[in-house]
Amino acid sequence: MSESAPTAAETRRIAEEARDRVRFEEEALQLSDQVYRVARRLVASREEAEDLVQDTYARAFRSWRQYQHGTNLRAWLLRILTNLNIDRGRRVQRTPDQQPLEEGDYYLYNRLESAIPDENPDEERVLQRLSQNAVVEALADVPHDFRDVLVLVDIGEFSYAEAAQILDIPVGTVMSRLHRARRILKQQLADKALTA
Amino acid sequence: MGCGCGDCEKMMQPYMDGVLSEEQIREAQEHLARCPHCEKRYRFEVTLRRYVRVAVEEPIPDGLKQKLAGLRSAG
Repeated sequence: MSESAPTAAETRRIAEEARDRVRFEEEALQLSDQVYRVARRLVASREEAEDLVQDTYARAFRSWRQYQHGTNLRAWLLRILTNLNIDRGRRVQRTPDQQPLEEGDYYLYNRLESAIPDENPDEERVLQRLSQNAVVEALADVPHDFRDVLVLVDIGEFSYAEAAQILDIPVGTVMSRLHRARRILKQQLADKALTA
Repeated sequence: MGCGCGDCEKMMQPYMDGVLSEEQIREAQEHLARCPHCEKRYRFEVTLRRYVRVAVEEPIPDGLKQKLAGLRSAG
């Protein structure tokens, strides 16, 4: 047998690898809606989100061998995406980082409810005071370290453990940031709903 | 009127996230069943979370899926 002719085992290995790669690419492409949904809220514009998702997939397709089949592909893709995003310093920052006043978890409800003239309105009625636009803007105003966690858990529906893995921070940090992020979001929502 | 119990306000988010122990979950459920003040706020929080998720949703732009598919090794 000549040196250049591949053995049967090699041929089989190459064919298997090609199959694994195609399977990886197909599985990754099936997740693009979910990846985009998170990306869109991590950056300021649709165009940036599109760029970020394309760069994420380009890198994922190049480094597909690093992905262990059977592990969480969606989290793996989001890890690439958040790293690219943090590297570029592209995260939305509409307002400078401040230490917002810490209000309780019922703050938003209490403020919205008190702005409604009826005695004891139901919660649907209270929620109607929040426009879609107010929600989008309020989320963009959450400082980015907090927003990253909020977007992954409450928009992307990742678990605490997955968010910790994606952002490479301890689970305890995910929990404390998420807790503050939700409170900050509610505070922003209250301000927007009640000054509109 | 509040129930005067700050603990249930603190437990609300972990309760919704499903990270409480079984005993804590039972406590939270019992409390919600007898406290209309917290029960209403609980329903608001659940609806709010869903509303936030839906309100910020933007469909993937036209053509992006094709662009991503074009990045595959097979081209």
